[in-house]
Amino acid sequence: MTTTTNSHTWIGKDIKRREDPDLLTGRAEYTGDVKLPGMLHAAVLRSPYAHARIVRIDTSAAKKVPGVHAVLTGREATVVLDPLPAFCAEPVVEHAIAVDKVRYAGEAVVAVAAESRYIAEDALELVQIEWEPLPPVIDVLEAMKPDAPKVHENLPSNVVYEHVFIFGDVDGDFARADHIMKRRLRWPRATAAPMEPAGAVCKYDPPSGRMEVWSTTNMLNYVGWLIAGSLKLAPHMVNFYPMYTGGSFGSKHVTSKVIAIAGALSKVTGHPVKFMEDRIDNLAANDAQAADRIYDAELAVTKEGKFLSLRLHAIDDYGAYFVFAITGNTNMMSQISGPYTIGSLENGIKAVLTNKNQQGVFRGAGSDVGNWVLERLVDATSDELGIDGIELRRRNFIQPNQFPYKMPTGNVYDSGNYPGVLDMALQHANLDYWRQEQVRARKLGRYIGIGLATCQQRSTYSATEFWFHNPGPATGLTTTAESVRIGIGPTGGITVTMFSPFWGNSPETVVSQVVGEEFGVDPTTVSVAYEGTSQGLPSAGPGGSRMTVMLSGAVQGAAAKVKEKMYKIAAHLLEASLDDMEVREGRVWVKGTDRSLSLTDIGMKAYWNKFDLPADMESGLEGSFTYDHPYTTAPSEDRKDLGVFYPIMGHAAHIPIVEVDIKTGQVKFLKYLAVHDVGTVVNPRSLQGQIRGGIAQGIGVALYEEVRYSPEGQNLTTTMNDYLVPTVAEVPHIEIYHHVTPSPFTAYGVKGGGEGGRMVAPPAVTRAVEDALKPLGVKIDELPMTPEKIVKWVTQAQAKTP
Amino acid sequence: MQDEDFVTIRLTVNGGTHRLVVEPRRLLADALREDLGLTGTNLGCEHGVCGSCTVLVDGQSVRSCLMFAVQANGHEVMTVEGLARGGELHPLQQAFWEKQGLQCGFCTPGFLMTAYELLQHNPNPSEEEIRSALSGNICRCTGYQQIIEAVQSASQAVAGASATVPSGTGA
Amino acid sequence: MKPPKFRYFAPRSVEEAVALLVEHADEARVLAGGQSLVPLMNMRLAHPDMLVDINGISELAYVRPWDGGLALGAMTRDATLERDTTAAARLPLLVEAAHCVGHPAIRNRSTVGGSIAHADPAAELPAVLLALNAAFEVRSRSGSRTISAQDFFKGYLSTDLKASELLTELRVPGLPSKAGSAFVEFSRREGDYALAGVAAVITLDEDGTIADARLGLCSVGPAPVRPQAAEALLRGQHPGDEAWDAAATAVITGLDNPPSDIHGSADYRRHLASVLTKEALASAAERAERNR
Repeated sequence: MTTTTNSHTWIGKDIKRREDPDLLTGRAEYTGDVKLPGMLHAAVLRSPYAHARIVRIDTSAAKKVPGVHAVLTGREATVVLDPLPAFCAEPVVEHAIAVDKVRYAGEAVVAVAAESRYIAEDALELVQIEWEPLPPVIDVLEAMKPDAPKVHENLPSNVVYEHVFIFGDVDGDFARADHIMKRRLRWPRATAAPMEPAGAVCKYDPPSGRMEVWSTTNMLNYVGWLIAGSLKLAPHMVNFYPMYTGGSFGSKHVTSKVIAIAGALSKVTGHPVKFMEDRIDNLAANDAQAADRIYDAELAVTKEGKFLSLRLHAIDDYGAYFVFAITGNTNMMSQISGPYTIGSLENGIKAVLTNKNQQGVFRGAGSDVGNWVLERLVDATSDELGIDGIELRRRNFIQPNQFPYKMPTGNVYDSGNYPGVLDMALQHANLDYWRQEQVRARKLGRYIGIGLATCQQRSTYSATEFWFHNPGPATGLTTTAESVRIGIGPTGGITVTMFSPFWGNSPETVVSQVVGEEFGVDPTTVSVAYEGTSQGLPSAGPGGSRMTVMLSGAVQGAAAKVKEKMYKIAAHLLEASLDDMEVREGRVWVKGTDRSLSLTDIGMKAYWNKFDLPADMESGLEGSFTYDHPYTTAPSEDRKDLGVFYPIMGHAAHIPIVEVDIKTGQVKFLKYLAVHDVGTVVNPRSLQGQIRGGIAQGIGVALYEEVRYSPEGQNLTTTMNDYLVPTVAEVPHIEIYHHVTPSPFTAYGVKGGGEGGRMVAPPAVTRAVEDALKPLGVKIDELPMTPEKIVKWVTQAQAKTP
Repeated sequence: MQDEDFVTIRLTVNGGTHRLVVEPRRLLADALREDLGLTGTNLGCEHGVCGSCTVLVDGQSVRSCLMFAVQANGHEVMTVEGLARGGELHPLQQAFWEKQGLQCGFCTPGFLMTAYELLQHNPNPSEEEIRSALSGNICRCTGYQQIIEAVQSASQAVAGASATVPSGTGA
Repeated sequence: MKPPKFRYFAPRSVEEAVALLVEHADEARVLAGGQSLVPLMNMRLAHPDMLVDINGISELAYVRPWDGGLALGAMTRDATLERDTTAAARLPLLVEAAHCVGHPAIRNRSTVGGSIAHADPAAELPAVLLALNAAFEVRSRSGSRTISAQDFFKGYLSTDLKASELLTELRVPGLPSKAGSAFVEFSRREGDYALAGVAAVITLDEDGTIADARLGLCSVGPAPVRPQAAEALLRGQHPGDEAWDAAATAVITGLDNPPSDIHGSADYRRHLASVLTKEALASAAERAERNR
């Protein structure tokens, strides 16, 4: 279901994924599968207190357990370990193993390396610790008070960052508005919870000072050198191997903690050491808990329902450390005004530290929250002004002829057709039928609700969001480049090498299809390889829905270099003009003739027949290309304009239909429809899988998932019995359609689609439940909508109704 | 009947018999992964919720994180490595590939083994029956739909394959 | 997350198992299906010095007709019970409840005896067996004794079973042929521990009034609950919303200290107990009506 004709041979085809045979047979090697001679296994003792001083640690009994090679406290570890890398400007220091003080329940206190994980855990049970408990700071509003106990004594306050960004005449627009929609909204702390927890195997070689690292880290070449710094090693002496990764969803960008622990223990013991988080480690201390925000949100609207200005003020509970600073809040400023022509906006951010595991990145990276908040206000407008939600959205959509569209923060939306996407969704939604069903059901005391959300899904990050919230001139603008190397061997076979690992996406499939397109060969004949950092070209790794865009661009660039050489060889051998060369069906042709050479002919010459090549040509046939982010600009010094930082903009419309059992509070899906526009689609089935998986996670945060802490700061959701990831029983059949508006800035017009499902489902499902409960007058301001909350809302609403 | 620190057990795994010396506390999952090198079986939670470590013991799906290796002594274990025969993917693996019923692949062996057991008992399951059978396996990537489609497709492939067997063979 | 060390014994007979339990009563724990015990060990929340693995005692795995009802060997797997045709014919309530236990791979291992002996208040079978007036046979060196379900469940994870005794058989009396029964539960996700679950049995008189009603609830107290006041109230009533409402009110009035956790507060569980009691009674009565 596309709006443009596909003129490509391989791009847009549902080829079977290249990654799958190894994954399906159990042959793919994940970090936990690595086994080295003499390898030890690590386990970590975690703090039972949310906030406490470590008075004394006695590890003597633990050290005596047969098979134990090292027992390391945080203080002892400082000999081999510096603090972990942090991407914040504020002086928030985190150690892989806590030094002197713990700041959340679950923080690592002692690490053991032993001959098996069993023995390591035996030893941990014998560690004696004398604690001095400190008052924990758990509630974010309490934490903001001036007299609250401090999570970090060196900071003036637990409010670690505070700033109000203003773009345009917000006050003026609010003064001009006929109506102001106002909501206090609460987005819950969720977490990525990939099926494979994070982990690392480190092998240190003392004489050479080299370390080899097999880990779940996805950003090998991007941040590997920083982790080397924490391990007090020369970065070029550390080789990070790319591993198959069992899901990340943002949680494995860095995972410096597991590498630091395995690395420190390897340095201390002289053995290779494996440290794999178990599920409790992961849920308690993975640093991938996500946005936990209270919003005071306002939308200024005219009486016709035209959105004038958006004013948001967030309090965000960051937990005990601040590794990515306020990235989740800056990220969402790339699409904060959504698909709508909102003229001005204000975004106030208070980042607060508490005694919880810190925030990291989780699919959507804060833009998920922004979409939910904006769509809540849009729905509020619809209800309060009595304008149908579909009509209201149409009145405010950016129109297809307005692209590229510069939105108030300075980011640019490359392309889009929002009315087209909505039309496509409505065409398949059969809303007339469902509205009738809704009426019929209500007469029987059943509550059916129809949801709608129309949201942005930004893709292809550049890195300014990591620092533009800090004042000062823009320096060191990066293009978060991504590289590939293409080699054509003497027999004409094509090998592509990538420098970012597999994390559950489909990089091998994407590069195979693009290579197939570029050279006119069957993608399944392309050999795909990954390289570690010792051989690494610039790469930033998966994240921010970028790999399809960046790999497509890199392959196209590398292919152009290889083709240039092929054409020179072919033109030389066929005695034709260089300008007349073209490649198709795996051969180089003289255009308009039947004269051609196969890739094998050319490869053989390039490798072994130097004297048949054009004069001065180097032997061999390969090309590397580093593809820079296609469109990044610097923020202005006053930050009234944040620059272009997330321009490859996708869009989606979701229509879920639910039934709410008001007696138990249970929500069941009757239908789920999604239309996504992420530009040119490389592999439709793989994209559908990404969208469906994202929607499942969006349903999770809407109905099930929340990291919960007790008032004392105990994490109450450290098992999969308690952190509720939806199962096959909770996720419905999801109908997906693709709308295609190519990007003008990327290879083939592709956009990233990896996060869209999770960014759009929460507002759509929220609206569906709210619509179901509309006859009772229930308004929904918080997630997850648990059965207990739904029963409570219904009861309260019924009590108000006479 | 042993009260020593280690016990000797015999495991038949994917048709081959192995003699192992293990502590009684060694989880079946670790015996398979670490002692026999069968790392296709993955550990996702180690408390019996996620289903990633599902293997078959005497043809029945079990959580290999909730069973001690010693309890499988003398029994037949089947893991994901036992599905493909002579380089030929099992119809379930083929169907998961075709329908893309996987992304990161970590939970996939557990789903394959659970689905294998389902199709043994019920060669032509309905969508409801598939959902019920798979409800103890968590996948964080796919949203499940393409897994369901894969199981449906495999059941048809298996049914189709047996339909082509000449009559009179008892198939 | 790996279990601590233990000594391991795998007796092949009840006698052998009982002898081990008697000899090591202080340190031994029985390993049945292991689906509750092993996670606790993996998390090091349980540290048994010794496990007596009774999975090899084949004489303990059976479902047999018994006195109009059923006798279940303690090592009968939930998956076996769920598919047993005799059980489905005689006591469909048991089959319905067994199907609600965890997930297929869990039920392939979990046992009816393990569920009873572990006595997790969130488990389905204890509540159902309580409603069905089951009795449990336990063996010790001195012989055997039979404990009624009513006397067996003492409190949170606590039973009348002694450390030196082995639970061997569950005896479940049959129901009148005209009885109808139903089990309903509510959990956050399918297969999760229920936030509340209700088993109901209704027998109707010739005139359509309720001759006998029985209820058993899980997850709403420290132990499974048999709300006898509600049962008494139902006898002689006409089936219908009025009776169900009154019974539900009596059920929640009688609840003592329902658990409260992140998945459901005590109040919400009370609310669910009421909703599910009505639902289970209505469904049981409808089935009884069909059998009449």
